[in-house]
Amino acid sequence: MLDARDISVTLGRKQVLHGAGLSAKPGAMTVIVGPNGSGKTTLLRAITGDLASRGTVTLDGQDMRALAPHALAERRAVLPQASVLAFPFTVHEVVRLGLTGRIALRPDAAHLPTRALERVGLAGYGARFFQELSGGEQARAQLARVLLQVWEPVQDGTPRWLFLDEPVAALDIGHQLQVMHLAQRFARAGGGVIAVMHDLNLTAMFSDRVVLMLDGRVLAQGAVQDVLTDQNLSRAYGCRLRVSSPPAQGATYILPQAAEIA
Amino acid sequence: MVALPWGRSAGRDATPDRVTGDRSGRARVTILALMVFVMLAAIASLGTGAAGVSLSDVLMKWISGEELTLRERVVLFDIRLPRLLTGMLVGASLAVSGAVMQGLFRNPLADPGIVGVGAGAGLGAVLAIVLGAFLPPAILAVAGMHLVPLAAFFGGWATTLILYRVSTRAGRTSVATMLLAGIALGALSGALTGILVYIADDQQLRDLTFWGLGSLAGASWAKLSAAAPIMVLALLVAPMLARALNGLALGEGAAAHLGIAVQRMKNLAILTVAAATGAAVAVSGGIGFIGIVVPHLLRLVMGPDHRFLLPAAALLGAGLLLLADIISRLIIAPAELPIGIVTAVLGGPVFLWILLRRRGIVDM
Ligand SMILES: Nc1ncnc2c1ncn2[C@@H]1O[C@H](COP(=O)(O)OP(=O)(O)OP(=O)(O)O)[C@@H](O)[C@H]1O
Ligand SMILES: [Mg+2]
Repeated sequence: MLDARDISVTLGRKQVLHGAGLSAKPGAMTVIVGPNGSGKTTLLRAITGDLASRGTVTLDGQDMRALAPHALAERRAVLPQASVLAFPFTVHEVVRLGLTGRIALRPDAAHLPTRALERVGLAGYGARFFQELSGGEQARAQLARVLLQVWEPVQDGTPRWLFLDEPVAALDIGHQLQVMHLAQRFARAGGGVIAVMHDLNLTAMFSDRVVLMLDGRVLAQGAVQDVLTDQNLSRAYGCRLRVSSPPAQGATYILPQAAEIA
Repeated sequence: MVALPWGRSAGRDATPDRVTGDRSGRARVTILALMVFVMLAAIASLGTGAAGVSLSDVLMKWISGEELTLRERVVLFDIRLPRLLTGMLVGASLAVSGAVMQGLFRNPLADPGIVGVGAGAGLGAVLAIVLGAFLPPAILAVAGMHLVPLAAFFGGWATTLILYRVSTRAGRTSVATMLLAGIALGALSGALTGILVYIADDQQLRDLTFWGLGSLAGASWAKLSAAAPIMVLALLVAPMLARALNGLALGEGAAAHLGIAVQRMKNLAILTVAAATGAAVAVSGGIGFIGIVVPHLLRLVMGPDHRFLLPAAALLGAGLLLLADIISRLIIAPAELPIGIVTAVLGGPVFLWILLRRRGIVDM
């Protein structure tokens, strides 16, 4: 159980979060949505300890900020919204950086980076330079690294957590579904997932719990059908939105719901 | 078929790492080869010198149990051996501090010599030489012969701290700011050093000139024992930074999420750079380009993984400096060239070549 309460963050001179909070359970997928600048990334970074913040963050009742970095790294992995790599590492070497803590002691540890790459659909990409991958491929390689860090969703009875900031933003529809399924499988296996998303359809499809943010506050949180309502969405996004109605005549639209993952 | 990156010679030989992208096997082989290289360079260095003592003669005598002449013993054990050890330690320190600094600044152009840390260490050393006598006797007694290397360490440390503060915002280093701040700090240290030279008396001036040439010619057991502990300590600490530097390549946030105590590791990295650079500068003056050329060449061969890069840099730095020292003793024998000139003549063009190949990294 992860509980963040009353989180306030000031960046520069601007107060970005005003007492935002969320709770998330292991075994479920919690998705944070909201318009640009509403504070999704900031909330995630406050919870993961990237940013100093007021309020409390507890993991199974334990103060998360009091955990030492290495202890925390055993409990959760974080996929940032954007990242730049400083040196010419190969994809394999980048993924291997996730091999940290107890997992590195497994007898099959040397093969795990390759398996993590297979999971994100990058089998055979290990020998390429990370910096020479496309944006979407880089995003998936980073995801493989993050997955590797918490390879087993539950370790010694303790659930582990994945924090993903827009994991599918750079991906094509096929890989979006693949990655969402991956995160879902992690949750089904007992791990916790907290993801920031923009795609409301994917959110509706995959999340067990939705947190809707607006202007640094949580507007609503709960089950999909309770949060993603016409009223909430229209208010949050500042445009008239209607749930489950097709767009006006003549527009092209693609329903991810109709797809099946290969 | 996936396009394979390095060497642009995809798939010629299918060693495992070309398939998986794991270069750790190649790195291990490289390190073994470098060990052999350092050993050969050390033997060559022991056998080279103006005194005309040949290593094979000495070996023959040793095998047949014959006594060495006094001259042979002095040349070998009091001149060439300390010089050999100094060269190895200085070369290793310069290369490792370059690699650590590049990892810390997340930039392959960060080198203590280029960004003014060497000059800062030099200022510290000159301060100690010129003003050391005015220090309270208590401090002199404690610092003893380590005074000059310690002062160089503090000079290098202060410079690195200032440089890091000026050029790094929120964990990201601006290359332009770093290089320009380095020029400013280097110039400032140089100017202050110049003022001190005016104050110096004749004896001090001799020390300074000798030292300022960037030379191993003054190597002695006394100087070595003053600086060696600091260099050895820095070289032993450096490998502990490897995992942190690897993580930092992904950014400070990602490094922290990987379980690295980022702030502590950054402080340790800065101390290591200052200690290695400071002590190296204190014994040998300014020897340039080792710190930038060595890590760069190694990254081309075995990748940037610091777990392998740092030990390999120590070895290649040691071996290359020994080679440069041999050249400096042979090229205008029986006189010798300051080794700083040799490394500059060899390293300068390589540095330019690096810039040409990777012009992109400067435009960040
Ligand atoms: N370093 C900063 N200094 C000042 N304000 C900041 C800083 N970083 C973010 N902000 C502001 O905080 C607010 C929330 O930013 P945040 O990145 O959390 O938004 P987000 O919901 O993740 O948006 P997006 O959907 O675009 O990723 C924005 O208004 C942004 O301008
Ligand atoms: Mg964001």
